[in-house]
Formats: sequence, structure tokens, C-alpha cells
Amino acid sequence: MTNLKILFTVVATLAVFTFVANVIPQVQSAVPEEIVLSADMSPEELASIGEEVYAGVGGCTACHGLGTRAPDLVGVAGSVCAARVPGQSCKDYLWDSLVDPMAYIVDGFQPIMLDQSRTLTQPQLWTLVAYLESQGGEVTVTSDDFAAALAAADAAPAPMLPPAAVDPADIDPVQLVNEQGCLACHALGGEGGMVGPAFEDLIGQDRDYVLRGIVDPNADTAADFAAFAGTMPPTFGDLLSETELDVLVEFFVTGEVPSGGSDGGDGGDE
Amino acid sequence: MRSRETVEGSRAAAWLRRGGWMAIAALAVAVPLLAQAAGPDYGEFGVFGLDRRDAVWIAAQLHLLFAAFVLGVPMFAVVIEAIGIFSKNERYDKLAKEFTRLLLVAYSATAIWGAILVFFLSTLYPRFWGYLTAIFAPSMWLYAALFFFESFTLYLYYYGWDAWKKGASKIVHWGLGIMLNVWGTIVMFIANGWLTYMMSPPPDVTADTVPQTVELWSAINNATWMPINIHRLLANVVFGGAIVGAYAAYRFLTSETDEERAHYDWMGYTGNFIAIGALIVLPFAGYWLGREIYEFSQQMGITMMGGFMSWLWIIQAFLIGILFLAGNYYLWIGMGRIPGAERFQPHIKWMLLVLVLGVIVWATPNTMIADRDEIAAMGGQQHPFLGVLGVMSAKNTAVNLMILTTFLSFLMYRRANKEPVVPWAKAGTMIQGLAFAIAAVVVVFYGVYGYFVTAIVRIGFSVYQVAAVLATILFVIGIDIAMARGAKSRGEIRWGEMPPRSQYALLILAVTFTWLMGLMGFARSGIRQHWHVYEVIRDTSEQAFTPALGPAATMISICVLIFFGLVGMIFWLGGLAEKSVYEETGA
Repeated sequence: MTNLKILFTVVATLAVFTFVANVIPQVQSAVPEEIVLSADMSPEELASIGEEVYAGVGGCTACHGLGTRAPDLVGVAGSVCAARVPGQSCKDYLWDSLVDPMAYIVDGFQPIMLDQSRTLTQPQLWTLVAYLESQGGEVTVTSDDFAAALAAADAAPAPMLPPAAVDPADIDPVQLVNEQGCLACHALGGEGGMVGPAFEDLIGQDRDYVLRGIVDPNADTAADFAAFAGTMPPTFGDLLSETELDVLVEFFVTGEVPSGGSDGGDGGDE
Repeated sequence: MRSRETVEGSRAAAWLRRGGWMAIAALAVAVPLLAQAAGPDYGEFGVFGLDRRDAVWIAAQLHLLFAAFVLGVPMFAVVIEAIGIFSKNERYDKLAKEFTRLLLVAYSATAIWGAILVFFLSTLYPRFWGYLTAIFAPSMWLYAALFFFESFTLYLYYYGWDAWKKGASKIVHWGLGIMLNVWGTIVMFIANGWLTYMMSPPPDVTADTVPQTVELWSAINNATWMPINIHRLLANVVFGGAIVGAYAAYRFLTSETDEERAHYDWMGYTGNFIAIGALIVLPFAGYWLGREIYEFSQQMGITMMGGFMSWLWIIQAFLIGILFLAGNYYLWIGMGRIPGAERFQPHIKWMLLVLVLGVIVWATPNTMIADRDEIAAMGGQQHPFLGVLGVMSAKNTAVNLMILTTFLSFLMYRRANKEPVVPWAKAGTMIQGLAFAIAAVVVVFYGVYGYFVTAIVRIGFSVYQVAAVLATILFVIGIDIAMARGAKSRGEIRWGEMPPRSQYALLILAVTFTWLMGLMGFARSGIRQHWHVYEVIRDTSEQAFTPALGPAATMISICVLIFFGLVGMIFWLGGLAEKSVYEETGA
């Protein structure tokens, strides 16, 4: 009898755990399918691909959905987008938020989002808009929008290729910092964000460490900024030429603008 | 004279031991041979309706559970033996030996399941297995050699117990116990290298990297290797204590004499004490592992905490809530057999209240599953009220208060039958109470303050909360030890006078710990998603998807049920062996 009671205790405990795990929401992680884009896709197809971009290459889930870094979008974005800016349609609002996010920071959240056109193609951006519209609203992205984006992408196949190498003396690191949107997260001369270390804190650091921080930002996250690990896009190694990277690293570790560069322009030390 | 039952038990044990050695020998031959086999990427499996992943899952889970058994229990045995040596109390020595006897069969079970796992991997996942052996073969040979040393040390440790019982030879014997743990720990570290490589391969390894060119040490010393090592080491202590508790409960419930019940009651208390004590520090190793996962891959971290696995942590909170409640319940029942404990009884309901509230807060999900209208009405996936409880500020506060409460239960249990005689006893107790109050205030203050600061500042607050709790535990224990010097006894603990429900609490603790290990194993393995080796070797089989929590839980329960069925057999064999010793001595 005692043995039966023991057996019952074990089985009943396991049954309770199994039951609880089966009644909570069930989400299976499917294998992502290869994304093929074409101009004749339906809004549903666009939204479906946009969902994969959202969770995958777009890296949106690094901040959205955690409830702290950026607003939750799943299930709600499409129902509120049209009311955000008077006179602006949902589609336009979402597109502008992706390519000019600093102008659309929601109250209570930090200005850490980067221009997504730096890392995503125009067709990918449109699929994202379609997906976000589908979250509580109607998809208004049309095949015309998408066909135009595909044509634009074909016409300018490599907009992000690094510019041809130039003389380092011609490159202004402060201007480069501004152009690349670094101040959205890092501070320079007291201006800029606090999501990553201030550039002045890099003075005296190892050059390889600083370079790695630019081209592979997830490799070493400063302890004080662990909460924002993964926020910085790992694309700057592709966006910047080798010469530009050298100039930036030199500027960060020495704190000095090379001769021929900036005289302390926007955001620089006066 | 030995009974027929005893002889059969001994034969079964010997057969299992032989089986273990045969498994190791087969493993040593199979590893290099099977790895060289060329052929399809995947083999077919269709036994009992299980597919190839189910087969590997069951074999790996059972191998791991037995491995945790044979790593956790020796830690327990060697500590208990040391207590026996230094306290000169033979009762501890007897307890340590009793557990080492169980290890003999458990080692064989570990080796047999390990061999089954290797055969499944090499026949069902031949290409992937070939890839792993191409990188890790030397470490696999070392693993087999160390397993031999470990087994031989275990035999020396157990069979030499009575021969090396006195004087310096006892210390040498204890040294064997330490060596047993050292071998076991190295073996675990090596195997951890293989599985963590699958999670977090070195950054320079890509899909095009020829496996023979991957440097062995860089493959082993990957981003998550050491955090997993430490986390598993601590978890094995917890598991060892829980299994000891379950064994004691089983023997207590089936005991026929008061003497036996007293012995197993005491054993159950000791096992539970070690399990809960180690559990308190385990989350810190978990935080470290989580952080390393995030640093290795933000996407993997998001998948783990905020992606499709986010509800897994609600289940984890539910399980840990059961552990805290069952552990405290056992202590509170145990106070019924301690003279003087009745003065603490009125406080128990308040402690229960804190624990229940803590579990509720901890198990509150961060985001709600709702349809689109509900989400729109809430303004997001966070509930306007419950969302406040579903964030780390609330959860950290809850868990720290639960730890403090559990420690208070231990303190009451320890103090129950003691009456301090030091002149500062009253002041000491007040200082202890003050320390508890300060820790609680610090925990609550930073918990509330966390809502008004940015995330990066808030994360730092958890350090202050944990530091306050740990400092209080150390400070209060220090005072208590000093206060207990020369204390008068209010009466001896009446070991054995425990209601059976207390022992069922110990069984539930052991089952819950074991199931939790299965769940966390699923989390660790599942975050690789459709990759054998994350972003290097893609899983192209039909089972490449990662199952939802429900099917995963069913599989975990099947594994835990098989495990406890086999452990029950080991316990039964342990009982037979003890009976044979008793009967031979009696004859």
C-alpha cells in the first residue's frame, strides 16, 4: 500500500506539471522559410514576410516586446498608428517611423532606434510596414508600393557599399559620427544618448577593442551597458570603409581630430 | 544466512555493474568507428511511435539525470563523511557509506544510458555526430579514461570503507572520496564542452569551417562553457540532496522499526537542508549563464527570455514556488517533533502568507496572451495592473523575500529546542530581528524604487537586494552560532516522530527538482532552435522545429517517470544489500 501511495505521489506530481504546461499558451518555433520577394504579392503575404523580418533580420525584438526599451507592437501597432500624428496615414506613419525614428519616439521610451533603411532594403521595410499594419489594423501596403520598392532596389543595388578609400586627412571623424547616427546612443562632448559608453570614455582604450566594438558590437558589451546589449547594429563594418574605420578608431582612442579634419563642429569639443 | 531475495538483489547489482563496463567498452570502440561512417545525414527510427529526436531526447535526459545522481550524491557523501570524521559521530559515517552503496548501481545506469545515447546519435544523426567527433575526439578519449579512473576510485572508496576506518587511513579514505568528486567534475566539464559548443561555438567557426581545423580548446572553452559548469555543479548539489531526501522518505515510509524511522527521518532532514541551502545560491549562477547567453547572441537571449520560450519562465516560477512551499512545509511539520518549537507556531501563518504572495508575484507573466481587441484595450500586451507585477522589480523583490522567509524557517527550526544562556541572548535576538527587518526594507525599497529609474539603473538594484539578503543570512548565522554556545536544551529532537505527509513533501521536492532539471535542459537546448550547432550546422531533419511547452513537458514527464522507476529499483537494491549485511552480521 505504501509503495502504491509513493507511486501515486510521483505520478500525480508529474501529471500536475504536465497539465499546467499544456494549458498555458502553446508556441512552437518553426523553421524559418527562405524569403522570396516578388511584385505580385498579396497584403497577407507581405505581412507574413514582414513578421519574419521583424523577428529575424530586422532585429526588432531586441527592443520591442520587452516592455522597457521600446513600445510593444505585436497586436497593437496597426490599431494605433493612424491616430499618432493628425493627418498622417497609418502606412506613412509606420514608414516614417522606420526611416526617421528619432522624430517619432514614443513618450516614456529612450531615443535608441536607428534609421532602419541603413540595414534593411526598401522591400524589406515595406514588408515590415505591412506586418505592423496587420497588428490590429488593415494592411494598406499595395503591390504598387512594393513593386516600386523592388524597382528602386534593383536600380540601386548597393546603396550601402563603403565609399572608395580616400585620404584619411580628408575624413572628419566628428562629421562621420554625426552622419552615422552614433549620437543616438553615444555621447560626444556632452551631447548624445546614454545607451552606450560616451566616446570620451574610449580615450586610452586598446585600438583592437575599440575597432571590435564598432564592427562586432555584440562581442564585448561594457558591464555598465549590459542592459542594452545587442542594440547597436553589427553593420558598421560594412557601412564604413577601412580608412573611415581607421580614422574613427584613432579619434576615439586619442580623443584628437586628425589634422585636416573637423575644427570642432557639430557635437565636437569646443 | 542470506535470503533468496538478497542473493537475487546482489546478482542484479553485479549484472548492472558488468553492464556498465560493457557499455563503456562498447562506447570506446564505437566512437571512432561510427564517426567515420559515410552515408545519409539522418537515420530512421520508429519504435513505440517515437521519432529520432524523441529517442535521443529520452536517452540524453536519462543519461544526464543519472550523471547528476552520480555527481551529486558523492558530493553529499564526502561532506557527510567529513562531518563524521571531525565530529567523531559514527552516524554520519554510516550515512555516507549507505549512499556510496547506491552509487555502484547508479554508475552503471549512467554508463548504459550514455552508451545508448552515443549509439542513437551515431546511427540517427551520423553526419552531425561525425562533425562533433572530428572536433572533440581527443576529449572523448580522455573522457572514457577519466570515467575508468572515476569508477575505480568509487570501488576503492566503497570496498575500502571498513578496511580504512581508523586513524590516518580514514583520512586517506576521505581523500579517495574527494578524488571521486574531482574525476566526476572533470568528466562533467568535458561533456559540458561538447554541448555548450552546440549552443555557442567560437565566433570564428562558420558553416564553411572544416571541423578538423577547429582548435579543440577554443571549441571547449566557448562563451557558455564555464557558466554551465558552475550552474550544473551547484545544481548537482541540490539534486544530490533532493535524491537523498527522496531515498530517506522512501525508507522512512517503508520502515518497520522506530530505530529505522529515526535514522531515515534524520537523513531526510539532512538531505533537504543541503538541497534547499544550495538552491538559494543557484539563481546567481543562472543569472551569469543568462548574461553570457545574451552577450554571445542577443537573438538567442531574446528567444530564451522574450521569445517563444517566455512562458517557460512562468512554469519555472510555478515549480520553484512549489519547492519553496514544500521545503518550508517540511520544516514546519518537523518542528512538531522538537520540544520548544511550539513558541514559533503562531508566526508560521504569516510566513506562509509571504511565501504565497511571493509565488503569485513571481508567476505573474510580463505580457498577457490576449486577442487583438483585448490588447488594444490594454494599450499593449501588458495588463494595466498585473503588468506592474510582471516585471523584474516585483519578481526580484518577491524572490528575495521568499529566500529570507525560508532562512527564517531554518533559523526557527535550529533554535527550537535551544535556550541560550549567554547574557546577551535577548539583545542578540533583537539584533537578528533588526537584521531581518533591515534586509526586508532594503529589498522592498529597491523593488519600489526600480519602477522610477531606467532599466540600466534598475538592473543594478538587484545586486543590492541580493547583497542585503546574503549579508543578513551570514550575519544572523554568525550571531546564532555564538549564541548557541553552552545553550540549555529544551529537550531532544524526537527523530522518527514525523507524520507520513512530511515524507511525501520530500518526495514531491525530489520529483520537482528533477522535472525542473528537464525543463531547464529543454530551455538550454531549445534556444538553438533549428540548429544542431548554432548558426553553423543546420538541422534539416523533419524534427528541426522546436516543440511548444506542452509536448516538451509531456516528454520531460516521461523521462522523469522512467528515471524514478529506475531509481526506485536502485533504492530497492540498496535496501536488499543493507539487509544482507545485517543478516550476515546477525548470523
